[in-house]
Amino acid sequence: MTEQYEVFLGCAIPNRFNNYESSMRAVAEALDIELLDFEGASCCGTVVLKSIDETSWLAMSGRNIALAESRGHDIVTPCNGCYGSLRDVDHVLHENEEHRETVNQVLKTIGLEYKGETRIRHFVEVLYDLRDKIREKIVRPLEGLRIAFHPGCHLIRPSTVAGFDDPELPHKVDELLELTGAVSVPWTLKLRCCGSPLLIASEDVANRILQEKMISAREAGANCVVTNCPACHTQFDVQALGLTDEDGNSLELPALFVTQVLGLAMGLDPETLGLEMNRVPLDPIAEILGI
Amino acid sequence: MALTMEETWGQFKTFEGAKFEVLDPNFTREVSGLIGGQDLTACFQCAKCSAGCPVSDKVNIQVHELMRMLLFGLKEVLQTDMVWLCTTCYTCQERCPQGISITDIIFGLKNMAFRRGIAPPGYLAARKGLYDTGRLYEPTDWEREDLGLDEVPEFDINDIRKMFDKTGLMKLEEE
Repeated sequence: MTEQYEVFLGCAIPNRFNNYESSMRAVAEALDIELLDFEGASCCGTVVLKSIDETSWLAMSGRNIALAESRGHDIVTPCNGCYGSLRDVDHVLHENEEHRETVNQVLKTIGLEYKGETRIRHFVEVLYDLRDKIREKIVRPLEGLRIAFHPGCHLIRPSTVAGFDDPELPHKVDELLELTGAVSVPWTLKLRCCGSPLLIASEDVANRILQEKMISAREAGANCVVTNCPACHTQFDVQALGLTDEDGNSLELPALFVTQVLGLAMGLDPETLGLEMNRVPLDPIAEILGI
Repeated sequence: MALTMEETWGQFKTFEGAKFEVLDPNFTREVSGLIGGQDLTACFQCAKCSAGCPVSDKVNIQVHELMRMLLFGLKEVLQTDMVWLCTTCYTCQERCPQGISITDIIFGLKNMAFRRGIAPPGYLAARKGLYDTGRLYEPTDWEREDLGLDEVPEFDINDIRKMFDKTGLMKLEEE
């Protein structure tokens, strides 16, 4: 049976990682996942608005949830930030009657109501359920790809809100990636934050965190980094450009989205997967990827 | 290596020589009322939070120190760099043996600091952007065209502004 979701893109993907959206849509189509447009979606507010004013954040994400709910649809998002924000707000509004009343007072001014009946999922969660189907569709194994997979924080923490995978030993997306014949290498700082939320407060500290991450990925012998989040990807595919260690050695590693890796192994068109838009050059792994 | 900051935030840099005139129980109570703030007194200073924190070696005041400042009712906590350099990774909260929602408490502290005008300038710009456009970033149309993607669905910005007028987002400092 075809699964159906309204797809919540957020702001970062249409702004700088349209290749994540196109690769997600291509993979979804190949797996019979129906992605409906999310009419009326605004920003989720993410940790930025939660930091400024929690009531406004609850209202902003609450409105997005209520919209999908009014149409009787579940939500899927390929962004950890949106996933974390929508799930977190959903959690707070479920648990806390006072906050739910406040938010519904606000939503009333625009003719909406939060009821809490819509499911919010990350795209990789949907993919994990379809792993047997994905296995059957692998036609172009990616032997030799050594992936430093970065799950990101809000996909798995806090586990009381996310609940998708083990918060200390996540393995589900790694399993998906290894279906392609690639290896998901263990690396010391795998679970560490990428630092992207700090770009707004201190680019210097954000870059130092990224530097530590990249050194760890290099030490593990990875030949690429893979993410499932546009915020994390900003670190690995934008901020990492020109990044060096203390001795001046380049710390750049090709950065791919999980949907690009799966799409390539499933034999989908590299152009549709938007590989030309990846910023860190893919040359070192081009042969493995077959591009 | 500790940070040196010129900004309005992160001005409380060390406990050494610091004099605290007031231990304010009302402040502790206020923090306890935040989302996730109810278990504040359970902290026994094991410092596991700081052990897993990605910025522990980059801040002047670490998470476990922040937690102790809260319990003592020290409002100076709002001026520590730990508040705005928390990456929101939730590692501390996930690992706290006492089940304290540390990261969520820090979100609440950010809200309190913002109202007092203690925040990195980027957050002021982000608030204005959210109010004016309902987004943090705008779509890049030429890339979408190249990839054959449809336009991003529209929404009515007036709905967003109506909500934010009701929550008082643009007037937080006046409360």
